[in-house]
Amino acid sequence: MTTGPPMMAMLESYLKLSASREQAISANMANIDTPGYRTRDINLESEFNKVMSGALRSSEDGAEPVQLTPVFHLVQGLMERPDGNNVSLDHEGLMLAKTQLQYQLAIQLIQNHFHQTLSAINGGS
Amino acid sequence: MSNVVTGLGSIGTISPLPKLPSLQPGEGQGGFGAVLSSALHHLNQLSGGAEQQVGNLLKGVGGDVSSVMIAVEKADTAFQMMMQVRNKIVSAYQDIEKMQF
Amino acid sequence: MNLFDSLSISGSALLAERQRSEVIAANMANAQTTHTQAGGPYRRREVVFETRGASSFRLALANSGEFQGPTPGSVRISDVVDDPSPALMRYEPGHPDANKEGYVAYPAINPTAEMVDLMDSVRAYQLNASAVAATKQMIQQAIGILKS
Repeated sequence: MTTGPPMMAMLESYLKLSASREQAISANMANIDTPGYRTRDINLESEFNKVMSGALRSSEDGAEPVQLTPVFHLVQGLMERPDGNNVSLDHEGLMLAKTQLQYQLAIQLIQNHFHQTLSAINGGS
Repeated sequence: MSNVVTGLGSIGTISPLPKLPSLQPGEGQGGFGAVLSSALHHLNQLSGGAEQQVGNLLKGVGGDVSSVMIAVEKADTAFQMMMQVRNKIVSAYQDIEKMQF
Repeated sequence: MNLFDSLSISGSALLAERQRSEVIAANMANAQTTHTQAGGPYRRREVVFETRGASSFRLALANSGEFQGPTPGSVRISDVVDDPSPALMRYEPGHPDANKEGYVAYPAINPTAEMVDLMDSVRAYQLNASAVAATKQMIQQAIGILKS
C-alpha cells in the first residue's frame, strides 16, 4: 500500500524508544537527591527518525535490522542546586506523563493493526 | 356454428414479445466492476493516507493526535464496510451458483 | 530495553528515601539527647546518596539484561555520616550532664531544618511512587495487546 518501512516495525521501534525514555526518567527521579547528578534524556523523535532511515536502508539491501541504541544526552537549561544536582521534580513529572501517553498511543495503534488483520483473516465476522 | 369457427379464424397474428434491451457482453459487469474498483481505490488511499499521518505523528513532524486518530478510524471503518460488501458479493455469487435450471 | 529495570530503579529510590526519612526521624527524636553510650551529646546524622553505574547507563540499555549487578541509574545510600558541626552549649549548672563551667552540650539539630528535609524526602518518595505506578501501567498495557 505505502512505500516505506512497514507499520509494525515503525510502531515497535517507537514503543521500545518510549520505554527507553521512561527508564531514563525513572533514573532521574530516583536520583533527585544524589549530589552531582545531571538529568539525562533521549530525543524520541530524532532517535525514531534515525531508526526509520536505518530500517529503510537495511530493507533495501536486505541487511540486518538496525539495533536500537538510543543516545542519552544531558538536558540543558535546568536549574542547578548547590549540591550539583539539577533534577527538576516538575520537569520529570511532565516528561513521565508525556512518555506514558506516547507509549499508550503506540500500544493502541498496534492493537488496532492486529484487529484489522484479524478481521481480514476471519472474513469480516 | 360457423360463426364460432370464423371467430377462431380471426385471431390474428400474435404480437411479438416486448424487445429486451440487447445485452452487450461485459457491459453490466463493467458498470458494477467500475464502482467496486473505485471504492477499493478510495479505501487504498484512505489507509495509505492514515499510515502516512501516523508516521508523521510518530516522527513528531505533522498533525495532532486527534486528527490522526480520526483518519485511522475512517480507514478502519472503510475497511470494515469493504469486508461486508465483499461478503455480500460472495454470498450473492453462491446464491446464483445454487440456482438450477 | 526492559521496563522491569525501571521498576527496580524506582524501587531503589523508594528504599533510599525511606532510609533517609528514618535518619531524619532519629535526628528529630534525639534533638535533646545530651549523653549517649559513646559519651557526649547525640551527633546529627546525614545520609549520602550515590548513583550506581551512571557511566555505563547507555551500554546497559543497549545490552539489556546482559548487565550484571545493580541496575545502572539506581540509587543507594552509600554512607551515613555524622554532622561535624560543633554542639550547642547551653548554660544549665544544675544539669547532670553539665561540664565544669556549667554548660550542657546539646546536639546541633534545628527542628525546622529537619522538618524541611523530611518534607523533601516525602516529596521524593511520592515522585518515585508515581514513577512506579506509571511503569506498572505501561507494562499492563503491553500485556493488554494480547487480550481481545
